[in-house]
Amino acid sequence: MKRRATVWDYIFAIILVAFFLFPVLYIVFSAFKTTNELFSATPTFFPKEISFTNIINTFNDEDFLLYIWNSFFVAVTSTILAVLVNTMSGYALAKFKFKGSSIIMMIILSTIMLPLEIIMVPIFSVLRFFGLYNTFAALIIPPAATPTGIFLMRQSLVTIPDDLLESARIDGASEWQIFTRIIIPNAKPAIATLAIFSFMWRWNDYIWPLIAIRDPEKRTLQLHIATMTGQFGSDYGPIISASVISMVPMLIIFLIFQRQFVQGTVSTGMKG
Amino acid sequence: MATKQQSYKIYKRRQKRVPYLFLAPNLLIFSIFIIFPAILGIYYSFTDVNLFHMDEYSFIGLQNYIDVFSDEDFMGSLWNTVLLVIVTFPILFTFALTLAMLVIKPLKAKGFFRSAYYWPVMISAIVVGIIWNWLLGGRFGMFNTIWTGLGFEASDTLVNPTFAWLSVVLAIVWSRAGYYMIIFMAALLSIPTSLYEAADVDGANKWQKFWGVTWPSLRAARLMVVILAVMEIFKTYPIVVKLTGGGPLDTTTFTVQYIYETAFKTQYDVGLASAMSVVMLVLVTGISAANFFINRGGTD
Repeated sequence: MKRRATVWDYIFAIILVAFFLFPVLYIVFSAFKTTNELFSATPTFFPKEISFTNIINTFNDEDFLLYIWNSFFVAVTSTILAVLVNTMSGYALAKFKFKGSSIIMMIILSTIMLPLEIIMVPIFSVLRFFGLYNTFAALIIPPAATPTGIFLMRQSLVTIPDDLLESARIDGASEWQIFTRIIIPNAKPAIATLAIFSFMWRWNDYIWPLIAIRDPEKRTLQLHIATMTGQFGSDYGPIISASVISMVPMLIIFLIFQRQFVQGTVSTGMKG
Repeated sequence: MATKQQSYKIYKRRQKRVPYLFLAPNLLIFSIFIIFPAILGIYYSFTDVNLFHMDEYSFIGLQNYIDVFSDEDFMGSLWNTVLLVIVTFPILFTFALTLAMLVIKPLKAKGFFRSAYYWPVMISAIVVGIIWNWLLGGRFGMFNTIWTGLGFEASDTLVNPTFAWLSVVLAIVWSRAGYYMIIFMAALLSIPTSLYEAADVDGANKWQKFWGVTWPSLRAARLMVVILAVMEIFKTYPIVVKLTGGGPLDTTTFTVQYIYETAFKTQYDVGLASAMSVVMLVLVTGISAANFFINRGGTD
């Protein structure tokens, strides 16, 4: 499309930047304000004097570091598992013709219609039945299998030429060797995309930890922030600084992997 | 020769098992943590199972469903959720499409614009709630400062039911528009330029080009966005946890929160909560299926 950008387009685009970024910047700057400034009758946008008190206090809380670690541990292990199982499924669906493949596709599709939020009550009892309630395994294993992940991997693996796999088979390679030596190296961009999304989903997740975790020391960062009071009380500083700190890993990942985010949304969105 | 043929047969037979083995871990997780709970939920919905006595329960037939439909608070939350979808979805859809049409123009620094619009997508729903609560809430909050600065009277903001409800709409649109923008963007970029050139030759104006070329070409993306966004708005809960907490007076309590509280917080009635989930599931599936068939049938 060869439409030209007009001055109005720029004005519109800049107003929208303000709409999307102002709320984020406001809370980020607020994390560096003194308690007095946070509660002054005329709120400021930029901090009058930069104060690290709230950020330091947040990091001085040992529990907070534990929650960060919990979130990090869950997000990383679940992502590794997600990459493995979804790539395996993607490979099977992309490169094999087999009986029941359409039924399996139907099952995978139907799981999109069964979001966790709708089945959270029976999931709770399933977790208890398998002894997974109040364990990290409950936060790592079930969410690792995602229909989105399978579609993403399938779409990417379809493009690997069959000849490559056939010649490996003739050379006597086992299917597992083909998977680890041909499929995985050839699917690196898609794997990166899946890994980034999986990390984001787990890092930002609230409903799974809410249902699966009881002990305070097993809480994830999001669950912890959600239980922090201060909203209606006098102490808004800690909750703001905890929120801002929780955004930092995603900011870093986003700045490094912007292209994967766009590709991931596009391929899971369009071809799923 | 026979042995070679035999070993080829064995190889073929083994080869047949391979895709199933590769699919096994995923299907196992799906079966245990999605399909089975869904069936279990339907089963529970006909019992009086309680959170603290999950092994002792009896069948009570359709009693839970009778209770669900006569529970005014639940029906209220369901209607509230449907209303949220009806109000939020068109705004989210139009806004995302507008953003996409803007960022495919040859703007300088369009990468920056795309990133800026996408950035809120990466923020957790809990923190999105906190951000907007901090911005909107309170007599002396940022919103009221700007509002009174413009010469209006100070607003009750989140204490006011209508304001609180609309703030949920705002927070959803703000945090999700960038995601759907990308889906539309990709679809817009894949429309062949020749279609627009042909429209130019025919002397079509901007509006005619949009409805004649752009809109029909977006059919797949539109269906995608409808199904994903409607489903997503239906599930609204984490975003209100820190924004309004479901209040004031339950005005921003939506179905998922109500179901969660019925099972885990107020009544501990797993059977009843399961019946609510089934009702919600039927509704969500029905709407998704309807969207699918309307969009499929409408333009073909």
